[in-house]
Parts: sequence; structure tokens; C-alpha cells
Amino acid sequence: MTLGPAATITALLGWGTLVGVDLVSVPQALLSRPLFAALGTGMILGDVPTALRVGLVLELFALDVLPVGASRYPDYGAATVGAVVFADGAGAWPQSLGVATLLGLVIATIGGWTLQWHRAASGRALRNQAAGLAAGEAATVARLQWRGISGDIVRSLFLTFLTLLAAGLLLARFQEDNPRLVVVTAVAVGAGLSAALGGAIRSAGRGARLWALTLGTAVGLLVLVLQ
Amino acid sequence: MTSGFLRAFLRLFAVQGAWNYERLTGIGMGYAAEPLLEDLKVSDPGRHAEAAVRSAEYFNSHPYLAGAALGALVRAEYDQVPGAQLSRLRTALTSPLGALGDQLFWAGLVPATMAAAGIVVTLEWGVGAVVALFAMYNAVHVATAWWALRTGLRSGMRVGTALSESWLPPAAARAGLVAGALVGALLPQAAAWLLGEQPLTGLAVGLLTLAVGLAASWVAGPRVTAVRFGLGALGAAVLLAWGLP
Repeated sequence: MTLGPAATITALLGWGTLVGVDLVSVPQALLSRPLFAALGTGMILGDVPTALRVGLVLELFALDVLPVGASRYPDYGAATVGAVVFADGAGAWPQSLGVATLLGLVIATIGGWTLQWHRAASGRALRNQAAGLAAGEAATVARLQWRGISGDIVRSLFLTFLTLLAAGLLLARFQEDNPRLVVVTAVAVGAGLSAALGGAIRSAGRGARLWALTLGTAVGLLVLVLQ
Repeated sequence: MTSGFLRAFLRLFAVQGAWNYERLTGIGMGYAAEPLLEDLKVSDPGRHAEAAVRSAEYFNSHPYLAGAALGALVRAEYDQVPGAQLSRLRTALTSPLGALGDQLFWAGLVPATMAAAGIVVTLEWGVGAVVALFAMYNAVHVATAWWALRTGLRSGMRVGTALSESWLPPAAARAGLVAGALVGALLPQAAAWLLGEQPLTGLAVGLLTLAVGLAASWVAGPRVTAVRFGLGALGAAVLLAWGLP
């Protein structure tokens, strides 16, 4: 089944918002991970193979991130939606994957900034409700909680709109027949692999996890040879 | 107390909904505590008012394990534990619940699940296998959150002992090993799947970028994050691709 343009845009806005909210607010079910966000986008667009390639490259970058507490990290959810939309519309993936990854990284970085603004706004709301909190009013707590979630929905919707707009503008200028674009794709994959490997080595330290990483890499290479 | 269990459990999925730099997940904890404190409103209104204020104070932990602290603190309110002792428990639980959850999920099961999903994609086992991994991860997520809240409610002030004697610490230690192995296995698979169809120049550029990226992060440390390196490398590559005659 193919969706019409209006239904597709609505579905993409809804999906982008959902994966954006999933990152921090609710339900933190990994929908915001690039690979899963890309799969959903690919299903909406009817192009799962391209979506999974975009999702995998961005996932390699995301594997470097440890989203701990107050740390600052990129928001890959909505960014992945836009990157997949671009790659789907730009033609063959060997030419489009690199530019799609660049778009994804730019929007993910902006998404990380919007997360900081949203957190600061939640803090301001909290200070405005200090009297209610000091009195232990359940209604105040509920109001702050729902305000926080609503703010994140608006943030994610805005980010999805921005990424779709950027994808559309890029598509209008994109020339698929440029032979150098395959090199851009190679750079994207190389940078993604360096992100995932660098993150894995850092997480491994010098203990047993480093041995596990080495063993896993050896098994991966062996499977490749056997294939 | 048990009547509000399900509502509190569901509310815990949004424990970071009002995350802010002043109280971190405090508001989410207060919102999730409210259904569990309803019985106290009837039996001891004075204590309920104090408990409601305390429940939304500063708190932080891994979101999936926040239920352990929530349950323990609510149970302690019903047990009439003095407020100062409750505040100490709240502070004491922050670090271990954060560290255990980060180790088990953020540095363990999340990279393990995503690496496994990546491997499944490169082996072209189909969308169903990816969806199955997503479902498996979330089954563990939901079961852990349920267990954490029940353990907290059962243990009260002894929640620290209950956690340290549970399956959680050994599982957290093992999850990292699984993640390391799966990420290691993903890397050659992903390289072959994404670069395999490239001409020789593309393959060389990809491997060169990988080497430069690793060298940059080695030399410059945390200043050159993966995203910054990716943006720089890709920005330069796009300019060259579109800009050169």
C-alpha cells in the first residue's frame, strides 16, 4: 500500500515526533535509535532497504554515545527520519548515502541543542511553580510533568518539520549523476566505523571487555570470509 | 499502597518527562509516587502532605530502575520512617541505581541490541528479525522496571541490600562483555555491507577516513567527538564533490 503525499507527510511528522519523544521523555523504548527510527521511516515510504542503510550508518555514530543523565548528546531520532526521506528521494544509495548522513548529523546536533533548551524551559516552569511544590500539591506536580512532556512533543515535532524541510530543499538541488558522491558515501561509512570502533575501544578499557571486542571482531571477519 | 501499583508503574515510563537541571527526575518521581501515596492520604493526611513534598524533590537514577527507589521511599513513608532518614536514602540510592542501570542498559544491552540488529540487517535476515530484537529488548526493559518497583515496595529501607544481592550486579557486568563482542562482530560486517559495492577508490577513502577518525580521537581526545569528526569530514567531502569543476 502506498500513502498519498499528505498522508505520507503526516505519518512522517507523527513518526518523527514519536521517536523524538522516546529519546528522553517517554517511553525510552529505543524507537529513537537510528536503526529502528529508519526502519519505521522506510516502512512509511515503502523503501526499507535504503532506510536500513541510512539507519545503519547513523547507528554507527550513535554507538559512540552514552546517554547518561545530564550529559549532552545528539538527538538522532527525527534526524534519521529526514536522512531517510532524502536518501529515498535522491536515487541510488551509493550516491545519496553520504549526503543523507551529513543531513542526519547536522539535524542530530541541532536536536541535541533543542534538548538543552527544553530542559532549561522545564527548569523555569519549575521555579514558577515553587510555591505549589513546597505545599506538596499533586496538581502542581502533574502540571509540571505534562508541561514537560508536551514541550518535548512540540520540540520533536519542530525538529521533524525542520528535517523534512531540509531534506526537501536538498533534494531540489541534488544531482544524482555526480560521480564523486560515491566518495562522500565512503567518507560517511568510514567516519561512522571510526565512531563505533572508537566508542567500543573507550568502553572496553583494558579489561575483559577488550578481549570480548577483539573476539567479536575476529568472529565478524571470519563470517565475512566464509560468506 | 498496592491499589496504585499499576498506575505508578505506567507513570514510571515517563519518569524523565519533566527532566530539568534543578531536580533532574524529581518531578517524574513525584508524579509516579502519587497513586501509591493515595492510601496514606486517608490513613495519615499529615504524613501524606510531607510525603508529597518529599516525593518530588531532587532525584536521579537510571530511568528503568527508578522504580526501586520509588517503591522503597513510598514503603518507608507508610512505615513512618523519619523524613531526614528518607532524604538520606534518596541521596544514597542515586549513584548505585544510576551506575547499575547505565552499566546494564546504556553500556550493555543497548549497544548489544543495536549491534545485533545491525548484524541482522547486514546478513539480510529480514525486517522480522530486527523487530524481534526490538521486542526482546523491551521485554527486558518492562520486566526490569516491574521488578524494580516491586523490589522497592517489598524492601523499603533495606532496598540497597536487596539490590546488591539480586541478579542485577552480575548481569550488569556480563552485559558489557556481550556488547563488546557484538559491536566487534558488527564492524567488519557493516564495513563490507556498506563499502563492498564501492569502487576501489571509495573503499580506500572509507578505510582512510576510518584511520584518520581513530587517530583524531586518539590525539585530540574528547574535543573531537565522533559527530564533530563526521561533520568535518563529510562537510569537506561534499564541498569537494559539488565544488570542484
